[in-house]
Amino acid sequence: MRFRGIGGFAASTLVAGAILWSFMTTDVEFSRLLSAGPRIAEFLGRMFPPDPTVMREIMKGGAETLRIAILGSLGAVVLSAPLGILASETMVSPPLYRTVRTLLAFIRAIPLILVAMLMVGAVGLGPLPGIIAVAFHATGMLAKFYAEAIDGVSRAPIAALESAGAGPLARLRHAIWPQMAPVIARDTIFRFELNLRESLILGIVGAGGIGFYIQTYVRSFQYDKAASVTLAVIIMVVAIEAINVALRRRFA
Amino acid sequence: MSPAVQIDDLSFAHPGSDLPALERISLLVPTGESVALLGPSGAGKTTLLALLDGRLRGWQGRTSVLGASLDPDRPPLRARRPDTGFVFQEFALVERSTVLRNVLNGRLGRMSPLRALMGSSTSHDLETALAALADCGIADLAERRVDSLSGGQRQRVAIARCLAQEPRLILADEPVSSLDPARAAEVLTLLTGAARARGATALFSSHQPDLARRFAQRIVGISGGRIVFDVPTFDLSEEATANLYRDTARMPGVGLRAVS
Repeated sequence: MRFRGIGGFAASTLVAGAILWSFMTTDVEFSRLLSAGPRIAEFLGRMFPPDPTVMREIMKGGAETLRIAILGSLGAVVLSAPLGILASETMVSPPLYRTVRTLLAFIRAIPLILVAMLMVGAVGLGPLPGIIAVAFHATGMLAKFYAEAIDGVSRAPIAALESAGAGPLARLRHAIWPQMAPVIARDTIFRFELNLRESLILGIVGAGGIGFYIQTYVRSFQYDKAASVTLAVIIMVVAIEAINVALRRRFA
Repeated sequence: MSPAVQIDDLSFAHPGSDLPALERISLLVPTGESVALLGPSGAGKTTLLALLDGRLRGWQGRTSVLGASLDPDRPPLRARRPDTGFVFQEFALVERSTVLRNVLNGRLGRMSPLRALMGSSTSHDLETALAALADCGIADLAERRVDSLSGGQRQRVAIARCLAQEPRLILADEPVSSLDPARAAEVLTLLTGAARARGATALFSSHQPDLARRFAQRIVGISGGRIVFDVPTFDLSEEATANLYRDTARMPGVGLRAVS
């Protein structure tokens, strides 16, 4: 590879420096690194064979995670509908949509797990803080997507309906909505998939769902049970993705 | 009976432009006539048609359409808009909706606001829409989605939507510019024939002199935002047509204005 002048040299120096700095400031020693392999192997050995007796906990935790994702997504849709309009270039004035977009960018910047921890502190343990956290976190992305769906609508058919004498609501219903609906559906399904994936771990901070059991079994050294729950999570993620791929094909 | 279109000394410049798009236009179109606006791209044909459709603000002069004067400062009353139908150059159809839904959209201005919102057409609305589809030769496409149609089929849907609106004045902006010559003649036969059958006035723009000659009773030549001739079709000389295009070749900036 050829470096492009001084900028390329500076960039590569920066990357090399960052890597060296990382090695220096943590206790990554070669002896520990070498012994880590066998330790991990031994740890994985204790997870095997997975304990199948935790099926009831898996079903209970999985169902709760699903509920958190569904209600959290519902909350995000309800919040994103008005915020999406307020973040759209075609519906409101520049100062307003810029402000709302900045707000949404801040919301997106806060990791879900952090929101969940704060909500557990605010409303206590259980699925409720999880639902609130998912709704809040997902709105940052979904409202932006909705705004883009509104702005992506072709203006010509709207003008044509106005020329034919259609009122604003009729134009919204027959010219804007048919163009927006498939985009909204696709974005909402996509965000629901993310919500379900992300809410699998919410239980680790006490915000409900299947993550609670992983945390409990690991803390109590019941690695075979933790392995069963982990397998269940993997199966759920793969299943969600398969369903989403099938759904997305429908809205192509 | 008042004329379909009466324009006196009309001038207009697009916002932010100091070059006039239309300059001192006067035009009289009697009810029931088919008139072609002939001229090169950027001559002001689209601007004039959009202005007559009540979509432009801030022009000078006096203009009345179907006996009602247009206000340069505000859009026409919604109740009057269905009387003027517009066929858009780029069709302006809702791509994901069916052909029938698009044609019924032409009826929205004639429905009660509640029916328009709910999309529940009366049997009269449906009959009118189906008759428009049949007139345009696309009754068999009613259930197809517009995004699955060819350019010629879309053009027919756009005309059917305009006819379903039951306009008394049909304004058509380059209704055949995207079609091959045979299809173009078919579509103009359809448009002018449907207008005549309904007693409606038709004003269409074109940059093809032969089509204007075949389908209009009167031809208005526009160049650089001015009317350069206004004659019955049989009086139009080859020389006048040739001049129309030669003049614009010499005018700098005319093509540029068409883009904005």
